[in-house]
Amino acid sequence: MILTLICWVALIAFIGLSVKKFMEYGKMPQHGRQDLYPIPLESDEKMHYGGSYMEDDKWYEKERHHNLKGEIIDMLVEMLFIKKLFVNQNNFWWLSYSLHLGMYVAIAWSVLMLFGAFLPAGILHTAAVLLGTLCGIVAGVLMTVGCIGLLCKRLFVKEFKNYTTPQEYFNLVILMATSAAGLLVWLGDMQFEFGRNIAHAMFTFSPLSAYYADGVPVMLTVFILLLAFISVYIPLTKLSHYVGKYYTFHKVIWDNEPNMPGSKVEANIIAAQSKPKDPNALKWSAPHWNPAPPTEEQK
Amino acid sequence: MNGKDLRPRDISIMGDQLTQLTVADLKPLPAPFDKPEMEPGIRMGKPEWAEKYNAHLDGFIAIDNFKRPQTKEEEDELVQKFLHGVEKMLSLDTNAGILQALNLSMEYCAKCNTCSNACHIFEATGGHELYRPTYRAEVLRMIVKKYFDKNGKLIPGGKKGVMVKFIGGDIDLNWQTVARLGEAAYRCNLCRRCAQTCPLALDNGLLAREIRKIFSQELGYAPIPLHEKGTQLQLKTGSSTGMSKVPFLDTVEFLDEDATDLFGEGVTEYKTPMDVEGADILLLHNAGEFNAWPENPMAFTMLFQEAGLSWTLSSEICGYDNVNYGLWYDDAQARKVAVKQNEVAQKLGVKRIVIAECGHAHKAAAIFADRLYPGKDRVPVQSFLPLMRDLVLSGTYEIDPSRNDFPVVLHDPCNYVRQMGIVKPQRDILKYIMKPGHYGNMGLPYYEMKEHGVNNYCCGGGSGFAIMNSMNFPAFRDNVAHRKKLSQILEAFGPELMENTDVPKYICAPCSNCKGAMRSIIEHYELERFNVHYGGLVELICNAMTKYSTPFMEFLRDE
Repeated sequence: MILTLICWVALIAFIGLSVKKFMEYGKMPQHGRQDLYPIPLESDEKMHYGGSYMEDDKWYEKERHHNLKGEIIDMLVEMLFIKKLFVNQNNFWWLSYSLHLGMYVAIAWSVLMLFGAFLPAGILHTAAVLLGTLCGIVAGVLMTVGCIGLLCKRLFVKEFKNYTTPQEYFNLVILMATSAAGLLVWLGDMQFEFGRNIAHAMFTFSPLSAYYADGVPVMLTVFILLLAFISVYIPLTKLSHYVGKYYTFHKVIWDNEPNMPGSKVEANIIAAQSKPKDPNALKWSAPHWNPAPPTEEQK
Repeated sequence: MNGKDLRPRDISIMGDQLTQLTVADLKPLPAPFDKPEMEPGIRMGKPEWAEKYNAHLDGFIAIDNFKRPQTKEEEDELVQKFLHGVEKMLSLDTNAGILQALNLSMEYCAKCNTCSNACHIFEATGGHELYRPTYRAEVLRMIVKKYFDKNGKLIPGGKKGVMVKFIGGDIDLNWQTVARLGEAAYRCNLCRRCAQTCPLALDNGLLAREIRKIFSQELGYAPIPLHEKGTQLQLKTGSSTGMSKVPFLDTVEFLDEDATDLFGEGVTEYKTPMDVEGADILLLHNAGEFNAWPENPMAFTMLFQEAGLSWTLSSEICGYDNVNYGLWYDDAQARKVAVKQNEVAQKLGVKRIVIAECGHAHKAAAIFADRLYPGKDRVPVQSFLPLMRDLVLSGTYEIDPSRNDFPVVLHDPCNYVRQMGIVKPQRDILKYIMKPGHYGNMGLPYYEMKEHGVNNYCCGGGSGFAIMNSMNFPAFRDNVAHRKKLSQILEAFGPELMENTDVPKYICAPCSNCKGAMRSIIEHYELERFNVHYGGLVELICNAMTKYSTPFMEFLRDE
C-alpha cells in the first residue's frame, strides 16, 4: 500500500505545488509595462510584422480588439513545439525538444494507462493498450535521448559547461534516470501492464503488491520512487518553467494593456496607491532618493 | 584572462583587469572595411586609472563617478551596501513595479544560450564570454543564491556548505566582484533583442538595468552623463543639454528665422507656437536636436504648420526636452521626469503629447510612465509617426519623390519598434516619398537592413551609450557596440555603392540617440570619405516637398 500512497502523494504534491507556484506569481503586484513585439494579441494584420495599436494616430480613442485566436495559436505553437528555440537555436532544439516531447508523450501515456486500467475489454481497451505501449516506448526513448544529449552538451561544450550548476546536472540526471528506469521496467513488461496496474491501484486504493504474485519488482519500485521524487521536485525548482512561461509571455512581454481611465490597469494602480505606507518599509539609500530638505537659501 | 575561458565566478578573481579586448578578437567587418588597415584601433585607458577608478573589468570605464575603495573598510562597506541594494531589488517595498518580471528572469533561465546568438555585442566581440548576455545575469543569480533566502531576505555572511555550491551560489563576493558587475551592466545596450528570442521570454536587459539601478539607487554610482549631467541637470535647468528657458526660446526663434529665410520663398513665415494653452498637440522634442540637429525640429515646424495643426511647444522645465535618461539606470529619476512632462501637458490643457524623433523618449513617456499614476490623470501619449504617416499619405503635402533620388537605408530604433510595435508608419512614409526604381532593395525604394523591423539590431548607442563620452568608454561603444550596425549599413548599401563616392548615401535614423550613434560611427570609421550622411525621417519628407525650391538636405545643396 505504501507504493500506492507514494503515487498519490506525488500526484497531489505535483499539482498542489504547481498551483501554489502559479498563485504566488499571480499574486504579485502589477508591474510596469515590458512590451516586446511581436505580440500575438494584436490584429492579424499587425501581428505578423510585429505592429501594435500604437501605430494608429490617436490610438487612445480607438477601440481595442484582443486577438484571442492569435494569442492561443501562438501559445500552442510555443508550448507544443518550442518554436522560439527552433527558430533561434535550431541545433539545441533537437535535444531540448526530444526531452520535452518525451514528457508530453509521457503524460499521454499516463492517461492511456488510466483508460486501459478501467475500460472493459473490447476495442477501446485494446486501442488504449496498443497506443499506451507506443507512447510509453516513444516517451522513454525521447526523454532518455534528450537528457543524455543535453547532459553531453553541458559536460563537454565549454560555453554550456561554464554556466551549468551542479543542480542543473542533477536535474538532467534524475530525469534521465527516471525515463531509463521506465524503459528497464518495460523490458520485462512489453505492454506496460505495470502502468495500468499503478493506475488501477491508485484509483481503487489497492496495494500495488496485489497485482504481483511474487511482489512488486525491484525495478518497478525504483521507477515509482524516482517518478514520485521528480513529481515533488519539479515544481520546487526551475524545472517548473511551465508555470513561469505562462507569466513571462502573457503577463510580461505580451501585456501591452494601456492604462486607460476606467480600465482594470487603472483600478490596480489606484488600489496599490491607496495601500497604507509602512513606516518600516525598506528605502533606497542614494542621496537623490532621500533629498535633504531645502535650505533657507534654496527656499 | 582569455575571453573564451572566462567563467561567471571568475569575476571575483582579485587583481587587476579581468580581461582585455583586442582588435583581433572583434568580428571582421564587411567591405570596404575588410582590410586590416581600415580597422581603427581600440583606445585603452591610462594605467593610473586603475588606482582611482574601476578599470578592473575590461579596462573600459562607464561608471565614471565610481571611486576605487582605498581601504579594507571601504571595500567591505561597498560590498555591504551592494548586498543591501540587492535586497531592495528583491523587495516589494522598494521594487514592486518590476518584481514579477524580475523574479521570473532570475528563476527560470535554462542556460540554452539562445540569447547570446541574438546579442550584437557578444557577436561583435567574437564570442567573448564577458559579453555574453547571461554572464552578468548569472553572476547576479549566484550572488542571490548565496546571500539571500527564498523570500529575498539577506543572510549575513551568506549561506555555507555544499548545498550553496549545489544550487549554483559558488561565488566569492569581494569589492571587485561588485565593481566589475556594475561595469558589466554597461556592456549591454538594453535593446532586449535577447529577450525577444528567449524560449522562456526571460530578459537579460531587465537584469542589466536592475544592476544599474542598484548602483545608482543604493550606491549613488551612475555615469555622470546620465545622472549628474543628465537627469539632474534636466530637472534643474529644464534640459539635459543644460539649455534653460531663455536660450531655448532664442534657439527656436533663430530656427524659425532660418526656416523662413531658407524655405519661406518670401511668402511663408514659419513660427513655432510656444506655450499655447488648449492646443491639440504638445510636441516634445529631444532638446539635443536643437543643438546637434536643428534641421529636425525645423522640419517638424514646417510640416506641422503646413498641415495647419493645432500644436505647441512648451518652454517649461522638462516641457521642451523629451529625454528621460532615468529609463536607463534609475526609477526615481525616470519617474520625476515623466511626471513633470505630464504636468506640463496638463497645465497647458493639450489633448495629447506627441513624441518627436527620439526612441527612448517614446518608451519613457508612453510605456514606462503608463502605469505610474491612474489613467484619468494622464495626458495621452503617442508617437509622431502615425500622425505624420496620415498627413503624408492623405496628400497634405505635395510630394515629388524624384527629389529623394539617392540611396537611403532605414534604421529601426529599438525603443519604439521592438518595444512599442511602431513598425509600419515609417515604411509607409518612405515608400511614398522615395523615388522608386533606382535605389533600394527588396523591391522597395529604400534599403532595408537584413534584420529589420522588430528583429532589428540596436545602433549601439542605446541605453545611454550615445552620450557617454567620458573616460575611454567611447572606445568600447565605437569599436564594439556600434559594430553590428556598421556591418548592417555596409551590407545594405553593398561594396559597390559604398565605394561610389559620387553618390551621397543617407542613413535614416528617426531617433536622436540613434543619430548620436550614427554620428559616432561616421566619425570613428571616417565614413565621410564614402559620402555617407545621416539624419531623421522628417527631413526626407521636407526634401520631397515641391513647395521648396531649395533642397532641404544640406548635402544636396552643396552639390
